[in-house]
Amino acid sequence: MSKQTQPPKTSSDGKQKGITRRRFLQTVGIGAGVLAVGAVIGGPTLVREGRLAINQAFLTGTAPSSAPPKSPFVWFEIDAQNQARLFIPKVEMGQGIHTTLAQIAADELELDWQTVTVAQADTTTGFDPDLIFTFGSTSVTALYAPIREIAAKMREMLRTEAAAQLGVDVAQLTAANSTISGQGGQSLTYGAIIAAKQGEWVIPEGAAALKNNADFTLIGQPIKRVDLRDKVTGRARYGYDARIEGMGYGAVARPPRYGATLASAAAGTAETMPGVIAVVIEDGFVGVVANTRRRAQAALAGLELTWEGGTNIGQAEIESIVSAPRDGGTLIQRVGGEEADGLRIEANYRTPMAVHAQMEPQAALARFEGDHLIIDCSTQAPGLTRERAAAVLGIDAAQIDVIPTYVGGAFGRKTGADVGVEAARLARGAGIPVHVGWTREEDTQHGYRRPPASNYLWATIDDTGAPTMLVHEIASSDVLFNPEVGGGGFLETMLGADPLAAYGGLLHYAIPNRRVMYHHTRIPVPTAYWRGLGSFANTFAIESFVDEVAHAGGIDPLEWRLRFRPEGDLGRRYELVLNAVAEASAWATTPADGRARGIAACYDRGTVVALVVEVSVTDGQINVHNAWCAVDPGLVVNPDGAAAQVQGSIIMGLSSTLLEAQTVENGMATSQNFNAYPLLTIRQAPQIEVIPINSGDEPVGGLGEPVMGAVPAAVANAVFALTGTRARTLPLKL
Amino acid sequence: MELMINGQAYTVDADADEPLLWVLRDALGLTGTKYGCGLGICGSCTVHVDGVPTRSCITPANTVEGRAITTIEGLATLDGDEEILHPVQQAFIDEQVPQCAWCMSGQMMTAAAFIADNPTPTDAEIIAAMGNNWCRCGCYARIRIAVARAAEIAQERAS
Repeated sequence: MSKQTQPPKTSSDGKQKGITRRRFLQTVGIGAGVLAVGAVIGGPTLVREGRLAINQAFLTGTAPSSAPPKSPFVWFEIDAQNQARLFIPKVEMGQGIHTTLAQIAADELELDWQTVTVAQADTTTGFDPDLIFTFGSTSVTALYAPIREIAAKMREMLRTEAAAQLGVDVAQLTAANSTISGQGGQSLTYGAIIAAKQGEWVIPEGAAALKNNADFTLIGQPIKRVDLRDKVTGRARYGYDARIEGMGYGAVARPPRYGATLASAAAGTAETMPGVIAVVIEDGFVGVVANTRRRAQAALAGLELTWEGGTNIGQAEIESIVSAPRDGGTLIQRVGGEEADGLRIEANYRTPMAVHAQMEPQAALARFEGDHLIIDCSTQAPGLTRERAAAVLGIDAAQIDVIPTYVGGAFGRKTGADVGVEAARLARGAGIPVHVGWTREEDTQHGYRRPPASNYLWATIDDTGAPTMLVHEIASSDVLFNPEVGGGGFLETMLGADPLAAYGGLLHYAIPNRRVMYHHTRIPVPTAYWRGLGSFANTFAIESFVDEVAHAGGIDPLEWRLRFRPEGDLGRRYELVLNAVAEASAWATTPADGRARGIAACYDRGTVVALVVEVSVTDGQINVHNAWCAVDPGLVVNPDGAAAQVQGSIIMGLSSTLLEAQTVENGMATSQNFNAYPLLTIRQAPQIEVIPINSGDEPVGGLGEPVMGAVPAAVANAVFALTGTRARTLPLKL
Repeated sequence: MELMINGQAYTVDADADEPLLWVLRDALGLTGTKYGCGLGICGSCTVHVDGVPTRSCITPANTVEGRAITTIEGLATLDGDEEILHPVQQAFIDEQVPQCAWCMSGQMMTAAAFIADNPTPTDAEIIAAMGNNWCRCGCYARIRIAVARAAEIAQERAS
């Protein structure tokens, strides 16, 4: 886990390197009528295991088959009917990743897009579940190169074989639309080549040449999503929809306070309540399995449970704990000196806890086939669910397959292994397949949530208004350091600062003296991954504060960001997005009466963002009418998908900016459901214009999260421009 | 109890107060209708009862016996073997509306009933009609465009 969850390394030139892994390409599962190409991507252990599996498949002669092979690590298959199947090792949770990654593969492989179908890769097809971990806007940057390399190799195998079948020099042959064509007019479809293949395929040595960007046919195009037909007809299967004959429905007893544990537990009258199939009591865990969901939930009331310990913490104490002090902490960035002369400006910002409110609550179906445990699960992190299920149930992880379904919204919440493990415990205890679907109340109160954060910034400006010093003190509760989702212990001692809570906290503007300190605070309320991680709170604070600094120095906020843009290539990219958004929003013009604009920019996960919003205020209520957003992830693979991610980030960011806070009293979240936790609706949604920008020749950043943090800052800055009032606490109130 | 769903009769053995949502999803396997909040707030569970958009999570199944229930699985029609998408479904694909799509069955059922009542809606009417269907992925801008487009498709097909 830890290798997966550390933040990507960022070099000083602003290019994000993403997660680099050594890559080993293999060809596997070659049988009559099907060509399948696989690859092992991962660390040494995985490579060893992968090679073992591949070698055994060949040595035992199980690989050749006319059926599509189920060999390890198959990425792409093409059959004699010229149909291509692409296994995508990332989870589709709405971000369009199945489409985007298929686009990359099909372009390099020169596939006719109409012949392509996409399938979710999982552990049953040999994929490493940690590779499937879908998080941090990293899918495209992590897989862009390996997918192209594997696809290119498969394409070259087909060209080489076509040359042999046609009796011509391979150099004369080109691939396009799932067809290899020669200069003399001869051509063979991929399917025809595969059907006519005699003997063994030859795996070419070395890397195959990749296409030039100028020759892309799919990358860079607004290709339509591959999953929407199933989604508009209700056929798409999510974790909550997983079903199997003879299954029961599980419900799990929840503590009345965070951290409370069971002192005693007995079945009580639950066992005799209507529909109850089993009461499962294990160490620290009690659940009921019944023949309907509501009966299982109702039977929880019949259990005799005594809870002990836990917290009685309330909101005032949480805010007191999570408060940025003025000294101490862990230094996470230092540029220049400790002090500078000039006018000193300072401000405090606060971001509350918030829930993910993903529309599909946690859900999983677990079943045993002999000793083998299969969990169909709405999860971003099948590896974590497998690891936790193995530990809790005391079985070998190799005996567990975790099958990611479509995910009905995640935003970090579906990294949690909670529900998969619960379903597995109940399935074992009841001896039948068990589905557990959390209620909205359970998900709102008993999941983890966005950590509360407090940010203190101070700056000095010289008599020209230019900043000479900028200091950022971050206090947040855990993200990675939450032992339930990854960290704690050694990691915490080593790092001092929770790297994921610190996301977005670094200062990139070209100010001669800069410092960022992280203050680790812990509250007895579970907090962890939430879309954008720390960058939501940190970008809100930084981009609000530099707006204050710009105003204090008498400099236009756009002009300030251009003038003090980061050095080097990152500065070039800031200029691109700032100029693009300034033009789109007509920044230089005066807004209509009663309206004002605000701007924010940020660099997050390799992507550079500039956002302008236009607001009005009526009866103390903030209305956001328009948003213009320029985003530069290096190279945009699918401009329409990119626009969807930006639009979604703006809406979710705006919901948090204007409406959302989860409070805790007496050791438990006060809101249980949407009646007490409203989200933004279409009525409050602004018009949004997205300007995707290609500043390079490959993707260097993601698109699922980087826009989030710019939203509260741009709105707060616009409200200040309109009213002269600076709102520094989320959700923004006037 | 006897339920008429998407033109087909079903006999279901369910608790008297069992919400229609769970009868559809768990008893009958019609999982296209989604659970979001159980309070009738978010709209993910919206189905049609005699053409009227209805929150199935707060509607006891036994109160809709004998009524015509339509779910997302019944929105498209068949022309021989060919599935003809409802104008709303077609527009939601054309405009690439859904992201995770968990809320989308409810969005589309709400939209389908709305454009049946109001074949030429204004933008303000669309916003009012769709105002109680939540989308956490933030597809609102596209929903607005797609509902207008759906109304156009319906008009084109009718003429």
